Amino acid sequence: MKRGKGTLWLGLALLLVLALALAACGGKAETGQQTEGNEVVLTIGYTESQTGKYNVSSSRQVKGLQLWVKQINEAGGIELSDGTVIKFKTVSYDDESSKDRVQELYTRLATEDNADFLISPYSSGLTAAAAVIAEQYGKVMITTGAASDSIYKKGYTQVFQIYTPASRYLTGAVDILQKADPELKKIAFVYEDSKFATSVVTAAKDYAESKGYEVVLFEGYAPDTTDFGPFINKIVGSGAEAILGGGHFQDGSTFARQLHEEGVPVKFVALLVAPPEPDFAELGDAAVGIVGPSQWEPQAQYTPEAAQKLGIEWFGPTSKEFVDAYVAEYGEEPSYHSAGGYAAGLILEKAIRAADSTDPAKVKEALDAMDVLIFFGRIKFETAPEAHGLQIGHEMVYVQWQKDDQGNLKKEVVWPEAGATAELLYPKP
Amino acid sequence: MSQRKPSLPPAFRLADFRPALPGRHWANWALPLLVVLGLGIFPLLTGKDVHRETMFTLLRAVVMAVSLNIILGYTGYVSFGHVVFFGLGGYVGFYLVAVQGRTLWEALLAGGLAAGLLAWLIGIGILRLRGAYFALVTIGVNEAVKAFIQNFDPFGGPLGLTMNFSVYQAYGGPRAMLQMTYYILVALAVAAVLLAYAVRTSKFGLGLLSIREDEDAAEVMGVVTPLAKTWAFVLSAILPGMVGALFFFRNGSVEPHEAFPLHLSIEAIVMVMLGGQGTVLGPVLGAAGYQAMRAFLLTNRYLKDIQLTVSGALLLLIVLFIPAGLIGWLRRRFPASRRVLL
Repeated sequence: MKRGKGTLWLGLALLLVLALALAACGGKAETGQQTEGNEVVLTIGYTESQTGKYNVSSSRQVKGLQLWVKQINEAGGIELSDGTVIKFKTVSYDDESSKDRVQELYTRLATEDNADFLISPYSSGLTAAAAVIAEQYGKVMITTGAASDSIYKKGYTQVFQIYTPASRYLTGAVDILQKADPELKKIAFVYEDSKFATSVVTAAKDYAESKGYEVVLFEGYAPDTTDFGPFINKIVGSGAEAILGGGHFQDGSTFARQLHEEGVPVKFVALLVAPPEPDFAELGDAAVGIVGPSQWEPQAQYTPEAAQKLGIEWFGPTSKEFVDAYVAEYGEEPSYHSAGGYAAGLILEKAIRAADSTDPAKVKEALDAMDVLIFFGRIKFETAPEAHGLQIGHEMVYVQWQKDDQGNLKKEVVWPEAGATAELLYPKP
Repeated sequence: MSQRKPSLPPAFRLADFRPALPGRHWANWALPLLVVLGLGIFPLLTGKDVHRETMFTLLRAVVMAVSLNIILGYTGYVSFGHVVFFGLGGYVGFYLVAVQGRTLWEALLAGGLAAGLLAWLIGIGILRLRGAYFALVTIGVNEAVKAFIQNFDPFGGPLGLTMNFSVYQAYGGPRAMLQMTYYILVALAVAAVLLAYAVRTSKFGLGLLSIREDEDAAEVMGVVTPLAKTWAFVLSAILPGMVGALFFFRNGSVEPHEAFPLHLSIEAIVMVMLGGQGTVLGPVLGAAGYQAMRAFLLTNRYLKDIQLTVSGALLLLIVLFIPAGLIGWLRRRFPASRRVLL
């Protein structure tokens, strides 16, 4: 009798296992390369942080990408020389802003959904996990929203970066300073203790020192810092004339406000991430004179003429065309995350056109050979094996908050000089 | 338990792991083992990489839940910061492979040892606390270790560590590496179940159960409660530490905020509760069920945009209608099942 019951329970347990396994498989999606006549539909796979802390940036990035997909399909796709017409569709899952399932989801994209090309998740950490999978299945992955240098120094061959890497985020600020005031020598670095900010300022510090600057303070603060008093005392005590650093929006804007309130006598302040955000203007007078690096700004002067001057090819819409289309589609201004998402699609399109094929190996070759100017900036990838795929063409643009004649706050591009919309306000009031 | 002589030896001994009660039904250990093996073998049958990855996430949760159950379910101490062992093991293992150039095997061992050692240190320090105080301190410990690692330069500080892709060549390239780490995880999950069974049915385990029911009474009866609790904590930490080493090795990078996410601890508690705390099979089913549901919702074409809402509603329904967890409910509903379900 016991045996009979035991078998019954065993059977039940096995059934349960089977049910769980079936549930885990999920529904089968109709994706992968589909051919109809001479029309081929390619699948682009990515994960989006629909929930969790990357939600805002990630969804803007995806909106940018979706706009490109919509435009290219409405324009009739890409026509190859053999008459094949390429159109695109996307498959995406929610990565919950967490590494937990990124590899699982990218494996699903690569094997079940048969994605032909991959776009990275938002953030360097998630992208690092996804890159292992892209590499394993030999899928080209265009990364956007992933600025960390280290991802591209791990020996990958299929991963291509759109963003300016973190190591060059603030080096331009040093250049601006040198141009504006060759006499100034003492810099303080005060930054958020996060992966991103630390890697940015470490590289900027080396650069500043190589340019003959004296770094009088190099100090990190905890990500949730709200009182910058102790740091401000140290800055004043160190005799610094310029401050570089910051981290993310919340801490950066608080830092800027308290610098203003304390009347810290520095001539130049450059902070990460916060200044390019439109909300930074809410600081009022405290925002005036603050400089910040941005991957892209709508005013940035990347035009066909600029491409001609550089002697490289121009591709895709102008900044204005992109902004107009984006506003028409979503009813909001694009941020640089949105532009990055669109640019990822555009670069894929350019590579497919240049390769005149959808063969991943040929597309990869085209990406390796690429040197092009688009509305987002110049795109060129490192091809040496030790940093393959690292972005070497794109430059940050630097914005500064200034007041116009009526006393209204305005965000102006001040660097690079070629794309500047206003002179640098120096010293900071 | 009442017929047994209640006094337990004053110190923790290996002999305490001998089954305390004779005549256990073989299904007590066979059922959880079969479930784990069934889950582990499933991707090998289908041969699909995506099933392997889904099962990786699922079995990782099984190890976390089954291990947590030793301190949570058997001993009655809620550890909100259990992910600290996963993170620390991950960091130590990753450091050995990526910086010291050691093998994955050494990394696994070191990850488990580091987690065990941390649990022992925490245990002698804070396991004299009871109830909510203990739960609060475990959260603090997680944050403290995270803050320490964020400022610990050999582990890369806030930058974390990354590993060159070429490391995987030593394991036959990335494809073979992903396959191999999966087998290791299946083995760890089997180990977790066997450990949970051994503890549950041992004299030592009876001591833990008596702590859960009434700690003062247990002490009067001769259970050296701080020591027993510390060892329970250590045993519940080792396997999560090893899984951490395995997980981050696969990921190729580790960062402080990824290694110590509090929500993983909370999820592990939910899984233990769903399956039935204090049982051997419960956490296995709880973890498998919970993760399978999440995986299904995340990738289902119609539900993926509202997956958190749906999973929240389902959890609510389960907690409302079967608060004792699946195994607890089955045992109550079908008294005959008590012999086979543990």
